[in-house]
Amino acid sequence: MKLERSDRGPLLAFLLPAIIMMVVFFVIPVIYVVAVSFLKWNGISAPIVRGFRNYLLLYKDKAFARSILNNVIWALVAGFIQVPLAMVMAIILSRKPKGWKFFRTVYFFPQVISGIALATLWRAIYSADTGLLNGLLRAIGLGDAARDWLGTIETAFPAVLIYWVFYIGYYMVIMMADITTIDTSYYEAAVIDGASDFQQAIYITIPLIKRTSLLTCITLASVMGLRQFEQVYMLTNGGPANTTSTIVLYMYKKMQDSNYGLASASAVILIIVGVIFIVTIRKLFEGRGDKAAQRKAIKKARRALK
Amino acid sequence: MKKTIALLLTLVMVFGLVASMPAYADDEIVINFPSIWVGTDSKAAYMSQLIENFNAENAGAIKVVVEEQTDYQAYRDKIRTTITTGSAPDICILDTTFDIKAYAESGKFMDLTPYLDEGWGNDFTDGAFDAWSVDGKVSILPFESAVFTPIYNAKLLAECGWDHFPATYDEFFQMCKDVKAKGFNAMGQMAGDNAWSSMLWYSLIAEAIGGKDVYADGLDNPAFVEAAKVLKEMYSYTFDGAVSAAASDVNGHFLARDTVVYLNGPWWIANFYKEDNAVDGVLLADDCEVAVNPTYEGGLGEGGLVTTVQGFLAAAKQSDPAKEEAVVKFLKYITDPQHVSELALSSGAMFFVKYTPSPDTSLISQKVTEVANNAAFTVLHVNGAFPTAFSTEFPAALSALVLGQVDEQGFVDQLQTAIELAE
Amino acid sequence: MSENKIHAPLHGKELILAILRWILIIFFAVYTLFPLIWLILSSLKTNFEFQAMSPFALPKVPQWQNYVNALKVAGLGRMLLNSVIVGLAATAVNVIIASMGAYCISRFRFKGRERIFTLFTAGILVPLNALMVPYFVIINKLGLYNTYGGMILLYCAIGIPMSTFLIRGLMDSVPMELEEAAYIDGCGFFGRFFYLILPLSRTGIVTAATFEFLTCWNEFVFANLIVSSEKLRTVQVGIRYFTNQFSTDYVSMYAAIVISIIPSILGYILFQEQIIAGMTSGAVKG
Repeated sequence: MKLERSDRGPLLAFLLPAIIMMVVFFVIPVIYVVAVSFLKWNGISAPIVRGFRNYLLLYKDKAFARSILNNVIWALVAGFIQVPLAMVMAIILSRKPKGWKFFRTVYFFPQVISGIALATLWRAIYSADTGLLNGLLRAIGLGDAARDWLGTIETAFPAVLIYWVFYIGYYMVIMMADITTIDTSYYEAAVIDGASDFQQAIYITIPLIKRTSLLTCITLASVMGLRQFEQVYMLTNGGPANTTSTIVLYMYKKMQDSNYGLASASAVILIIVGVIFIVTIRKLFEGRGDKAAQRKAIKKARRALK
Repeated sequence: MKKTIALLLTLVMVFGLVASMPAYADDEIVINFPSIWVGTDSKAAYMSQLIENFNAENAGAIKVVVEEQTDYQAYRDKIRTTITTGSAPDICILDTTFDIKAYAESGKFMDLTPYLDEGWGNDFTDGAFDAWSVDGKVSILPFESAVFTPIYNAKLLAECGWDHFPATYDEFFQMCKDVKAKGFNAMGQMAGDNAWSSMLWYSLIAEAIGGKDVYADGLDNPAFVEAAKVLKEMYSYTFDGAVSAAASDVNGHFLARDTVVYLNGPWWIANFYKEDNAVDGVLLADDCEVAVNPTYEGGLGEGGLVTTVQGFLAAAKQSDPAKEEAVVKFLKYITDPQHVSELALSSGAMFFVKYTPSPDTSLISQKVTEVANNAAFTVLHVNGAFPTAFSTEFPAALSALVLGQVDEQGFVDQLQTAIELAE
Repeated sequence: MSENKIHAPLHGKELILAILRWILIIFFAVYTLFPLIWLILSSLKTNFEFQAMSPFALPKVPQWQNYVNALKVAGLGRMLLNSVIVGLAATAVNVIIASMGAYCISRFRFKGRERIFTLFTAGILVPLNALMVPYFVIINKLGLYNTYGGMILLYCAIGIPMSTFLIRGLMDSVPMELEEAAYIDGCGFFGRFFYLILPLSRTGIVTAATFEFLTCWNEFVFANLIVSSEKLRTVQVGIRYFTNQFSTDYVSMYAAIVISIIPSILGYILFQEQIIAGMTSGAVKG
């Protein structure tokens, strides 16, 4: 929308509260973090300027490299496996099958259950001796595959990642809300054209949510993947041998060591990695994505159906 | 409907913004004390009574306000943040042993030397302050101590054909084999979470090998490589999944009576006597015996004991002399030998204060105290002897060692690198 | 795709799709209900049962005492109330401020618009653990240490990037033509915001509000850092009441967790019903 001169005052008034909060609670604190990242400081004694040494140390630290890799994998899996799964379920539930309200609520439960409880449960499921997973494998005659899932180099990270991929409730709810705003006349027309549910999803629903809730969810899920801390901290504390470490966990451990310089440097790296990641995702979805293009896509789809 | 919601929200917000701490009488000195000895901590009940009594005795003059902190990691985070930002609480508990000197040097804490010199210092065990004073000044008091000595399920060990606890590590591994052959676990190990139990074993083994001066050359002492070898071997005789295990797994196995040896601090003793943990009406304590750290062939550790400072008391520097007096008065009150004796009885914990143990002390506590009193010398637990970075890295290094990612030297190197990174 | 197949759908294929659909629905239901059921069962065990026996066994005798412990010892009632107060207030302020900001960024083209949005997006990525020291200083300097106000302000602020991001995402999907039409009809800046954009982007606002409320509800580090009085403690602090330096009373903690999630689940159901329900009527997409 073109900005009218008379709108400038209200615009500023509307934008200002958010900007002030951002400056006070993000810009200034992040400047502080950047400043500390150039120091050697334990929080007690006088700080010593260290220049880029902390960044050099991070570059050399294999545990940190592994943390970045884990975060990137996590973000990709979240954005491109977890969210599509959520989308499938959102499409299925938005057709209102029997009990859909119940399922929509149930799928959301893991979001409200405390992380401590979820972590203890999954530790129990993956446990070597009393674990549910090993019990299941033994019951179906695959006892050889039983192992200490969280204590084996090869399986620890996949185990931490996989259980969490199926908790899709939050993204599903976002996309469902978006799908319900789609004009029903599209579907009615499609039904007349003889399109199956599957085709309606492919040609109407997905194109219409692609640049709104789907993009939002993918970005959100990736951010969550990049910020991952609590679950890893409680499930494995980064072990074994740092194979499940993440950037925030790495940072947290350095804070425990009162190594504020290195902790801050890793926070800065996380922000940089994150911004690159998100800008790339948004670029992928960009292009002529306005409403006209969407409508055109739908027309094309309908023509294809006929 | 919308208006009601809006009104409600406004009310909630106004209420929220206006609500503040209750005001205290002007002339009353308020001492804030964020404390970890609350909630389900074994010292909680007696501490809270003690503070209540103190407040009653000093009503109108001094009031100690306890800020309950139950999550230890969050407590550490908070205390560190307050100290960093120059707003340390009047009294706090510190436990990162290695950082104590830095805290003492920072000058942010009250110098207690004059008060200790007036006779208060005599209440503490001999040499209690030696390791923590800076330039002869004491600003941080070691308070709660802990000793680590193995406790074992004698009944289970007998089932494995052993009528005594091994005196040497060679014998210990003989026992391990016999125990494992019977289908039990010799001891609990954990490389998950903070690897607490395994770190304790590492301290005991290192002490057995390196003896009194094991820390003299830092991690360069070959005892640490040797100890890593022994610790790794122990992983063959523990339960499945020890690499990812946490303290609850170690405790669970010992409680389930499938593990022979248990290693933890004196605070755990209360669990031996809990009805909840009894099996067929027999208390765990009735099956258990206290042992001493086995000796190591060619080692220097005979008669040694691994100890740690579990909690230091520190008081922030005060500008108001009256408040300083009040804080000291309170510190003297909680470190009073009579009070500490009762605190020890009610909690099972041990302290750096000279006190006469109550005759009602539990049998296991008495035996642990006996082991402590018989020790020829003491050596710190590794997590107090090395910088925090050592303990933070320990689980990662240990799991790498057990899973064959690094050898014993590599394990020690990894810990050394972590320490250097923090320097 | 060939026409025949569309006009003469195979019954077999439809059946397979229907079966597949229900397999998925049931799988996710079991997967998400399992933790809750396990949690409830565990909260009825003794600590001995929980630690020394199979974690998936049923409790021998249900220990309702754990719930009594949780309610009495931890003072959970007061903490729940605090969480509700702080959560609602922070969410309300947060969502208002974020919608206003998102409206400007979504609907108007002005200099620095995208840069401002990038700033917000980057804000989502900031690991808040690293900001303990600055936040502690800011809250203290504002004189808000140990007040509801401090918690509300901090929670509101840390949620701004996320809420703005979510609301903008869905505001973008409100057709520009609608707003232009309103503009031509003489509807001003505020009018368009309150009567057109706000109602039409309810989905985004509800999503952001849900997220913000859950963040407040589950936040622990700062709840512990910037508050010292027991009267202001929130429910996450209460859950940790059963932890101490050396051990955890798991079963009582689980009872506390079960109690603490009941309000969030009830609130969620009501919220979804009330706000999403009316949404189908106002189809705007396309």
